[in-house]
Amino acid sequence: MADKMELNEVEVWDGNYAAAQALRQAQIDVVAAYPITPSTPIVETYGAFVANGYIDGEYVMVESEHGAMSTCVGAAASGGRVATATSSQGFMLMVEVLYQASGMRLPIILNVVNRAIASPLNVRGDHGDMYAGRDSGWVQLDAFNAQEAYDLNLCAFKIAEDVNVRLPAMVHQDGFLTSHTAQNVSPLSDDEAYEFIGDYKAIDEMLDFSKAVTYGAQTEEDWHYEHKAKQHRALMDSYVVIDRVFAEFKEKTGREYKRVESYMMEDAEVAIVALGSTVETAIQAAEELRENEGLKAGVVAPRCFRPFPFEDIQEVLKDVKAVAVLDRSCPMGAMGALFNEVSASMYTTTSRPIITNFIYGLGGRDFSLEDAKHIFREQKGHADVGYITTQIQQFSGLRGPKLGFFESKRSK
Amino acid sequence: MKGVLPTDRRGVRELGAEDLVGWDEVTHGVVLNSFDGIVEDVAQVAPEERPYSDFNSYTATVASWRVIKPVYNRDICIDCQNCWVWCPDTSIISRDKQMLGIDYDHCKGCGVCVEVCPTNPKSLLMFAEAQEPEDALAKWPEKKKKEKK
Amino acid sequence: MAITSIKNLKEFSTVNERFEGAHLLCPGCAHSMIVRELMNATDDNLVISSATGCLEVCTAVYPYTSWDTSWIHIGFENAASAVSGAEAMYKARKRKGTLKDPDAPVKFVAFGGDGATYDIGFQWLSGAVERGHDFTYICLDNENYANTGGQRSSATPVGAHTTTAQAGRVSYGKKQKKKDMVAIMAAHGAPYVAQLAPNKWKIMAKGFQKALETEGPCFINTVSACTTEWKFDPKDTIHITDLATDTLMFPIYEIIDGHELNILYRPKNIIPVEEYLAAQGRYKHLFKPENKHVIERIQKEIDEKWEYLQRREESRV
Repeated sequence: MADKMELNEVEVWDGNYAAAQALRQAQIDVVAAYPITPSTPIVETYGAFVANGYIDGEYVMVESEHGAMSTCVGAAASGGRVATATSSQGFMLMVEVLYQASGMRLPIILNVVNRAIASPLNVRGDHGDMYAGRDSGWVQLDAFNAQEAYDLNLCAFKIAEDVNVRLPAMVHQDGFLTSHTAQNVSPLSDDEAYEFIGDYKAIDEMLDFSKAVTYGAQTEEDWHYEHKAKQHRALMDSYVVIDRVFAEFKEKTGREYKRVESYMMEDAEVAIVALGSTVETAIQAAEELRENEGLKAGVVAPRCFRPFPFEDIQEVLKDVKAVAVLDRSCPMGAMGALFNEVSASMYTTTSRPIITNFIYGLGGRDFSLEDAKHIFREQKGHADVGYITTQIQQFSGLRGPKLGFFESKRSK
Repeated sequence: MKGVLPTDRRGVRELGAEDLVGWDEVTHGVVLNSFDGIVEDVAQVAPEERPYSDFNSYTATVASWRVIKPVYNRDICIDCQNCWVWCPDTSIISRDKQMLGIDYDHCKGCGVCVEVCPTNPKSLLMFAEAQEPEDALAKWPEKKKKEKK
Repeated sequence: MAITSIKNLKEFSTVNERFEGAHLLCPGCAHSMIVRELMNATDDNLVISSATGCLEVCTAVYPYTSWDTSWIHIGFENAASAVSGAEAMYKARKRKGTLKDPDAPVKFVAFGGDGATYDIGFQWLSGAVERGHDFTYICLDNENYANTGGQRSSATPVGAHTTTAQAGRVSYGKKQKKKDMVAIMAAHGAPYVAQLAPNKWKIMAKGFQKALETEGPCFINTVSACTTEWKFDPKDTIHITDLATDTLMFPIYEIIDGHELNILYRPKNIIPVEEYLAAQGRYKHLFKPENKHVIERIQKEIDEKWEYLQRREESRV
């Protein structure tokens, strides 16, 4: 039996260490991984746990990220708890297998420490990898700090493995900004954490030889569509389980999570919608603007990127006049993905606020308090005149001439 | 040859003619169960004793692929099992070291069994699909004399 | 492990098959002969992974499976990873006591074509062997990407026509030598590596049993004559395979622990390679006068390889 670890009520952990601790507490059967910056410390820390007797499961260091996720799929189909971690190029190498994991309904947990995608090569954080996973059929939860990286890992196992979900789940955190920044984290004890997650429930396992199973059959046009639709429905409906798990987690820890987090939105006139560590910057900017300029600013942050919380976005933004949606991934020839999804949510309501799109922070470019304030003030400008006074898509924090696209066709 | 193993569900389904069920009924994660219920130690259970599920290709037939078929002549066969070991379609039915016949639901008519048959004359020969087995047996050739080299 | 008795074919034939008919492989396909023999060589439980390819697309097309054992297909390149994951899970659950039947004997096997093995899945296989998982990887080597209509692979021999290394007015087909996968896998230090052929059923079954019994990663390259892409009559699969082994185009041998080489089959009469080539449509252009040098090259390379294998065997190093 693996040794237990005594933890303090408050530990000083960075996001990677927090995630590794949650993985240890989950008593995973197989971790198959390949290291890549900035997620490497998750794998290394877990390896240290293995080397020092804290892990009963197998720790398989494979030859590539594609091999890592493939090994995870083989392991998960064999009826046990499975997890891994990656970033950026490693994530891109995994992409093929992400679809295969979700199509086979295998509840694997993947920690994605978000990082930009080459070329040009860059080790810093943006959301290019997270966005590349958005059609892969995984639950995607987004942590904005180290505490959340820990908490959401515990929740992710419980959500993914629920008999009504049985889909893989990613827990995202921002490379370096979250993964390498030491913060106060309040962990659960080993027993409490494991009790919260619970034992793994094997379904259709390859190691039950009394029930021979075939995984990964080919489905052509008579069957493929129904299978994909069923998988989509499972992901769409998973919000019920996500809400329940978050509620149970609150009961246990007092820490509350929602599929869409909102800050100061009760009376907000303008809002920023963003993901990741940027949320905390935006909150601080909103607080200061409220304090110093009387600007009724609020922040909306999808905790759950998939399933996309379409109706919750409608609800939280219904009384806002102008919204800036921030995408930390270069959309390459289109509007940002988050902008498109938030816009689609709001277009199907009667309120239809003004919505503009900001691309920012690519390759780890700093997103400052001032940048956030500038965006809020610009939204206030739109709100006051009732139309978009700038281009619809703008680039924030970019050197050189101002870059933006498209003018509003709505009446001035 | 269904009569050989009267209890089994071999070849009862035409490939491609399955009921197209709705998307709510398709299996979870595209997983297919080979059997209905529990089968402990499959390797110890004879095919005719197994509860094959509708998903098992054992219950399907590929007989329509065939244009020629092997016919088996019990009188000449020495039960060497060459045909059994090399049949690519698990279509030589052997039990207790005896060749019982050909599984015409799964045989595709490749003719490998005839080629590897060592008897003289052969105990397996290819005939047109429509040929009645009795007629085929009536036409069986005589023993060939060794060709002089 | 429970070994199926293979003293003679009669005894061997009493096994209960776990690979079912009405799969969609071509009539006369050697893949299923090899797969059946592997599964019949043991009565242990099997966890099998298959790479994308002929075997996979013909044995698990929804709503049918031809497998009476645990079976998984993920992708083209990662059959070795899939089986390593299953094997790792088995070890973890055995240790933790969560297996339903912890005493049930189990063997882990992966099947891949030469595309999956020599080419696209090379890295995944290499990784799994280096990690030392307890599994047997069997390459069904039909020397081309048969599932997609016969394109070249790095297992395609010199002079063969494929759709991406065509024979034509100014080309004699594939120009590059076949990759020596057996040597590469032996160089990994795998405890058991072999090249086997289904015409020599007993040698093949014994080789399979040896691999399954050996702890650690084992690799077996099997010649799988492809009636469709090699262009011969489906009834001749075993005849063509006889020619492959008796011309020494496919020598049958094993390498133990990366160094101890044993030749497992020595043809009584070694047949000139021309006879093997002449029996297949993929080589017919080689019989034009201008391509005579290619046949000479093939024969020379066969002779050299045979000489090398014999010397390796004799030297015991």
